[in-house]
Amino acid sequence: MAKEIFMPKLSSTMEIGTLLQWFKEEGDQVENGEPLFEIMTDKINIEVEAYDDGVLLKKYFGADEEIPCNFVIGFIGKEGESVPAVSPGIAGSDSNSNEQAPLEVETKLESKESSESNTVTQSGKVRATPAARRVARDEHVKLQLVQGSGPKGRIQERDVHEFLLNTSTDLRISPLAKKIADTEQLDVATLTGTGLNGKIVKQDVTDALKSKQKPVEVAALKTRKKLSGMRKVIAERMQQSVTTAPHVTLTSDVDMTKVKDLRAQLKPIIEKQTGLNLSFTEVIIKAVGNVLSRHPKVNASLIGDEIVFNEEVNVGLAVAVEDGLMVPVLKNVDIKGLSHLTVEAKDLAKRAREQKLLPDQMKGSTFTVSNLGMYAIDAFTPIINLPETAILGIGRIQDKPVVINGSIEVRPMMVVSLSFDHRAVDGAPAAEFLTELKRVLENPFELLV
Amino acid sequence: MREITYLEAIREAMSQEMRQNEDIFILGEDIGVYGGAFGVTRGMIEEFGPERVRNTPISESAIAGAAVGAALTGMRPIIELQFSDFITIAMDQIVNQAAKLRYMNGGKGKVPLVLRTPSGSGTGAAAQHSQSLEAWLVHIPGLRVIQPSNAYDAKGLLKAAMDDDNPVIFYEHKLLYKTKGDVPEESYSIPIGKADVKRKGKDVTIVATAMMVHKALEAAEELAKEGIDVEVVDPRTLVPLDEETIIQSVKKTGRLIVAHEAVKRGGFGGEIVSVIAESEAFDYLDAPIKRLGGLPVPIPYNPHLEKATVPQVADIIEAVKETVHF
Repeated sequence: MAKEIFMPKLSSTMEIGTLLQWFKEEGDQVENGEPLFEIMTDKINIEVEAYDDGVLLKKYFGADEEIPCNFVIGFIGKEGESVPAVSPGIAGSDSNSNEQAPLEVETKLESKESSESNTVTQSGKVRATPAARRVARDEHVKLQLVQGSGPKGRIQERDVHEFLLNTSTDLRISPLAKKIADTEQLDVATLTGTGLNGKIVKQDVTDALKSKQKPVEVAALKTRKKLSGMRKVIAERMQQSVTTAPHVTLTSDVDMTKVKDLRAQLKPIIEKQTGLNLSFTEVIIKAVGNVLSRHPKVNASLIGDEIVFNEEVNVGLAVAVEDGLMVPVLKNVDIKGLSHLTVEAKDLAKRAREQKLLPDQMKGSTFTVSNLGMYAIDAFTPIINLPETAILGIGRIQDKPVVINGSIEVRPMMVVSLSFDHRAVDGAPAAEFLTELKRVLENPFELLV
Repeated sequence: MREITYLEAIREAMSQEMRQNEDIFILGEDIGVYGGAFGVTRGMIEEFGPERVRNTPISESAIAGAAVGAALTGMRPIIELQFSDFITIAMDQIVNQAAKLRYMNGGKGKVPLVLRTPSGSGTGAAAQHSQSLEAWLVHIPGLRVIQPSNAYDAKGLLKAAMDDDNPVIFYEHKLLYKTKGDVPEESYSIPIGKADVKRKGKDVTIVATAMMVHKALEAAEELAKEGIDVEVVDPRTLVPLDEETIIQSVKKTGRLIVAHEAVKRGGFGGEIVSVIAESEAFDYLDAPIKRLGGLPVPIPYNPHLEKATVPQVADIIEAVKETVHF
């Protein structure tokens, strides 16, 4: 009997996954353990392996479709085995429950196009005669767009001619014009070509770009991108946090002179031990962990109608990745040494940027640190990573004149910004936490105690 | 214009030239009173005498060797081989001597001989007397290879062959000897290396040689009734090959079929196809190229099987339809 392939549930918060790509076609042989498809969850991109040997009999969904966890997305079985025409719904449910399959999924099935024509072969190459290719080349036609009428969908010369006749002239564009238009994100469909047979040439594009300066034209030139995957998750999370948690942000100036000294002294030692560079982030995280362990109210999570005081001190570290943000978690920060933290923080940041974080490395944070110190940012109002109680924003370290014992001195100063959820904690305990953090950072040798 | 046969056109070309040029003589087996295996030289010994129309022993190697020697010493011999299959026996003299001596002597010597010989199947002459081995000779630098397909071309090209200072292999086709065509009475020459478009068309190009030219033209007539406009190109000389005419034709039609009687495997058709694939005509191809050639078997004696071994009109029609319709 054919085995179900379903959208895996990779974390307790995962409810839906986006199918990024299949690695196999229907009819392909699949081996147990072979990567079968790739999905994106709210936290991570991951390749899903096959659990069975056999032939991939059916794919119910294509790339970019969102599928609920445990929903059947395909079948593996023996060659020729019959499978339902539409997904039977949640995996493990018996066949009588077919009708329980959510309606929203059925509507998506309609968009699945059947590919009868083999014009584009499985390797992605277009089947076209040399003559068709010549005409396409001369006329700047993308053969992928042309429907072939020859054997096996082969594109003949006349198909390209027909395509040209049926295509509005404003899509004819010289390669240079196309390149400029692409770079400038200019929609060529809005242009009128002045070249041969109405072909859009460089002049047309540059003219359009000049007139683009006028505000009237701007509206027509916006590019659009569907909110999906990580971007969508971030949007939902931020919205939810801001609307449910009353944010209050406290800021404080910290004199980083001693942290600088500490770092300068430890750096060669840690580099010798680990080969890695101790950065301010790790020292700050260590200090945060140390202080958090004495301020359980700030290390708490508001879940439902309960405030949960977390025993572990796990600090999430916001890492910017391409088109988004990831928050890998450094666990038990309060009891780990700086050398250990350096190794772990560097590894997590690297994995985040390469999208190779394991689900476990993204769970369980009790507090988050967001560092914008590499930019010209002094203070900001970070948004809390719910259900945590607070988040700390780190600004840049900058030499500033400060008054020490009645005289002005230049000191490396840094602003820390603490946003807290006023439902879970009040201003005084949050201020106590931040004050103590400032004191620890200004006297970092306390960390050794 | 006067109509004569292919065979008569060849005889006339030789006779006219021999009257003009004392250096020319013919040698071969039974070419005297008997007139040769197919009667091409019939009557020539009476006009030119046994000195210039020489019967030889049955040794193609000796005939070819004698001709090479005569040519080197200033004569312009014409060899007749009874069947082109026997060229294998003359091969060493042709390939290792005739083809090379002009080059090896830095041009100081030359071998102006013509080797005339009938090729092809269709006469019930079986495996050892029916082959088309032109591809063997085409491969040898220093030789010219000619395959006339009608009486007019045969006379004009034989004149050009006799005038040429290089050894020329002149392939006649057994089935063509009796075909008639308009041939001028006076002597004329057709340049070696110039193809002839035997029929103009716009849908598909058939490059055909010797007997296949006629089959292709017959197929073209049939196909015209269905609205398919076939162009038939006859290269006439395989070496040197008029690539330009073939390329221009394929650029026009976008489709190519090559037809020859010789075995398809390793046949000259592959050369023509390669020329097109390497040329600017490649970009004009709108269908895969097809080759029609003999089956890779010795020509059978049984007349039905003999026919089945080489491409026929129906095969050409089918190939054209596959290429044109899609």
